[in-house]
Amino acid sequence: MLLKLNHIYKWVKSGGRRVFLLNDLNLTIEKGEFISLMGPSGSGKSTLFNVIAMLDTFDEGDYFFENETIHDLNSKQKTKLFNENIGFIFQAYHLLDDLTVYENIETPLLYKKIKSSERKALVADMLDKFNIVGKKDLFPHQLSGGQQQLVGIARALIIKPKLILADEPTGNLNSTQSDEIMQLFKDLNTEGITIIQATHSESNAAYGSRLIKLLDGSVNNK
Amino acid sequence: MIRNYFKMGLRGLKNQPFFTLINTLGLAIGTAGGLLIALYVYDELNHDEMFADSDLIHRIDMEIKFGGAEIKSAESAAPLAGALKNDFPEVEQTTRFRIQGSNLFRDTQKTDNIKELHTTYADSTLLEMFDLELIHGNRKTALKKPNTLVMTRTAAENHFGSVDVVGKNLLLNNKEMYQVTGVMEDLPSNSFLKDYTIFMAMAGNVASREDIWGGNNYFTFIKVSPDTSMEKFQLQLDGLLEKYVLPWATRTFPGMTAESFLASGNYIRYHSIPLTDIHLHSNNKVEMSKVGDMQNVYILSFIGFFLIFLASVNFMNLSTAHSLKRAKEVGIRKTLGSNRGQLIIQFLTESGIVVFVSMLLAVLVSSIALPFFNDLAGRAISIPFENPMFYGWLILITIILGLISGSYPAFVISKFAPIDTLKGNSFQTSSKWNMRSVLVVFQFGVAVFLIVGTLVVFQQLKFIQNKDLGFDKEQVLIINDTYAAGDQVNAMRQEILNLSAVQNATVSSFMPVSSSRSSTSFFQEGKMDQQYAIQSQVWKVDEHYLNTLDLKLISGRNFNGQFVSDSTAVIINESTLKTLGLDAEEALGVRITQEVELGEPLYFKIIGVVQDFHYESLRDDIGALALFMDRSTGYMAIKLKTADLTDILSNIENIWASKAPGQPFDYRFMDDAFETSYKEEQRLGSIFMVFTCLSIFIACLGLFALAMYNAQTRTKEIGVRKVLGASVRQITFRLTLNFLKLVGVAILFALPLGWYFMDIWLRDFTYRIQVGWQTLGFAALLVIFIAIFTVSFQAIKAAIANPVKSLRTE
Repeated sequence: MLLKLNHIYKWVKSGGRRVFLLNDLNLTIEKGEFISLMGPSGSGKSTLFNVIAMLDTFDEGDYFFENETIHDLNSKQKTKLFNENIGFIFQAYHLLDDLTVYENIETPLLYKKIKSSERKALVADMLDKFNIVGKKDLFPHQLSGGQQQLVGIARALIIKPKLILADEPTGNLNSTQSDEIMQLFKDLNTEGITIIQATHSESNAAYGSRLIKLLDGSVNNK
Repeated sequence: MIRNYFKMGLRGLKNQPFFTLINTLGLAIGTAGGLLIALYVYDELNHDEMFADSDLIHRIDMEIKFGGAEIKSAESAAPLAGALKNDFPEVEQTTRFRIQGSNLFRDTQKTDNIKELHTTYADSTLLEMFDLELIHGNRKTALKKPNTLVMTRTAAENHFGSVDVVGKNLLLNNKEMYQVTGVMEDLPSNSFLKDYTIFMAMAGNVASREDIWGGNNYFTFIKVSPDTSMEKFQLQLDGLLEKYVLPWATRTFPGMTAESFLASGNYIRYHSIPLTDIHLHSNNKVEMSKVGDMQNVYILSFIGFFLIFLASVNFMNLSTAHSLKRAKEVGIRKTLGSNRGQLIIQFLTESGIVVFVSMLLAVLVSSIALPFFNDLAGRAISIPFENPMFYGWLILITIILGLISGSYPAFVISKFAPIDTLKGNSFQTSSKWNMRSVLVVFQFGVAVFLIVGTLVVFQQLKFIQNKDLGFDKEQVLIINDTYAAGDQVNAMRQEILNLSAVQNATVSSFMPVSSSRSSTSFFQEGKMDQQYAIQSQVWKVDEHYLNTLDLKLISGRNFNGQFVSDSTAVIINESTLKTLGLDAEEALGVRITQEVELGEPLYFKIIGVVQDFHYESLRDDIGALALFMDRSTGYMAIKLKTADLTDILSNIENIWASKAPGQPFDYRFMDDAFETSYKEEQRLGSIFMVFTCLSIFIACLGLFALAMYNAQTRTKEIGVRKVLGASVRQITFRLTLNFLKLVGVAILFALPLGWYFMDIWLRDFTYRIQVGWQTLGFAALLVIFIAIFTVSFQAIKAAIANPVKSLRTE
């Protein structure tokens, strides 16, 4: 088991009433799974992602990540756990505009205080793997959307995460680019990385090993 | 990692060139201004500190109450120094100065005199006590013998063309021969001796050896042994009165006893003032050199501080404005594993780079501006590049400014939660607007305050210049040092009078602008008791004085050269009249005398009362004055019929050359001379104005950038409004109004403060303006106008943009 969510509730107060973002959500994810998370807008996909990523809190329930009980950790410990285990991929790529491709990929290593020589080797490997060696000195705005997302994925993978959270990773891409990215995810999954992707696209969902449907803040796999 | 912070910092700055430019420029200008002011203030605060053991040197000042008049004096009696040296073991050395003012000196080998403006007798202890090194001559023996002198390098070069001149002779005022026994370097510009060029041996001053405690003409400095308690010393000073002054007085004034002196409320108090305090904390009518004013130091420090702070505020302001963009970056970096500390360091590095570059620029700018500033402030300040402390301070200020300027992005933006910022909507709360509003209000408040200050200073100056002084200072030419013409003075006056452009001329050492002054106490006949003594200025003038200067008689008549009896006549001013308690007609014929000595006193009869005129600074009340008809040939004041000077000056100079051959011809105009006495105020006014402009400029830079940012972030809103039918005018108005509200709040805060503080400043003047609502209104309007001008440019630009474009970008 990689992670397990037990009876998770999350709500916001609106006019004195609770509006549930996550409503008695139960989910177990095993190592090596490739989950496709589907659901209409507002069904709680992003909230669930943020809870899994430990970027957001929840109001009730238990969350286990490997052997850690997340609900008992303080924010520093959560940040540490997140930084070591989870890579995040965004629909809008969220590359740092001021940094080159190389530097974008390198940044997480800097924050992990990895030595310069080792950083070079790791980034070089990653550039190689994604065939973007020739683009390493370009800035994000000089790249196409698909290329930017490749950099985003490379950046997420550089810390060798156990889990990749991809929030509509191909939402801004055309279908060719989209298929390439999905194929890449599949390959990564075969290498042993657990992936959860949120998507609206049935065809993208089909790349996954398991489909989870979300409705009104809880899992609805009927 | 550090290298990476720098790299990211530089990239970040490069990618927002406009903000970087404004930040750097604003900070550079602000700190350059601040630096100049700091140097000025440092110079003021460290006056006289260059003398060895300056902390052990004190001057003995006096407070005298005698016959109704209270006098504070930096000068004391000649025998005081000797008495102190004798009676007080802690007094190691004393030096007296007896100021001689301007004198003519002539190299005995030459025929022409050269005028030295500031000369003084000084005790032979001067060189050792103040540790003044001689370039030539022996400081142990120089100034020991009468008729020897020590001169500065500049003076030596002026007279002899070289500095190796020990043993050469100079003729003083065509009469007395002096031998040069030493040459010293020019005295530092921030010392009390800065003006002095020639020091003559005190041994040649006969009065300096006389045991007369009544005349106070000697600046007396003492050097005490280390560890002396000045409080204790101060207490002992009170004994001087009983031991020396009263015995002398009872000997000199028959009938006076120590009891009668003290019983009428009279006193003489001595107190010491540290040498290094004199410049800013001593304010006697007569000082050895122009003193400064602590108040001005405070005012300037305030301005300097706020200049830097304003620039810093710009930085913070733009950072908050930029927080939206930076917030997203914070979000990304956090999801990439950055912790808050690392982000704080990154933001601080960024601001640190800007501040560092600004500081370099500031040093550059201030070195370029320094000559102009020196000119403005009348100082000779230099940037102490050779002083390691200077760099220490620069680094310290860089760090402090970096921390202040970078604090908002570093500590506030770095706190944002990543998911909020990445969604990009929920964090735009009202709180950051409040922060920015406060800063804008603050900036414009300072600008308003400074504008009010500048206006008031200039209005007061104008008021002084236009005030009816009771005498006519226009078209009056003053020839200096007419005594050099000797007994030819009257002949010269006659010849000058014959010039067609000359209306009148008078010869006197006493002018209502800076010139000689002499005061004494005198008594009305029949009221010879000490308590009726009237402390008054006594001026020797000729019979043309009143007419030349257009002084108005309110009763009686002018002097008449034909009446022999007028040599014992006196004309008093209204202020004296008031002290006598008589009315203008009653006073005529009343006799007064200066002396209470043995035998029949010499009485002077009051023949006229002249309307009060401002012969001292407008800071002070008009004091009692008595005019006597007597020979005193320091100056000749010439009233001209026209303002056209084409030939007059050369004609007068020709006459001068024939009557006083070889003497330097030196003149000034009375209205210029009058304005010179308000130089400090004028300087303050100019400094005020320059730095006010700077602060307004900095505030506008910030507002401009803020307006630009505001317009940018609201492009979508503006687009929507336009699509809904809003006109360019409406949108411009809407965008501008937001800022104007802030400026309005700033005005509400700053106007009362400005009014309050300038009112305090004005209290220094006996004759002063009121801070009127027009002044305040003008300052407010000016700021509003500047703000509208700054903001509306951006607002209009945003308002006329095509809405289709701005809406498509979303």
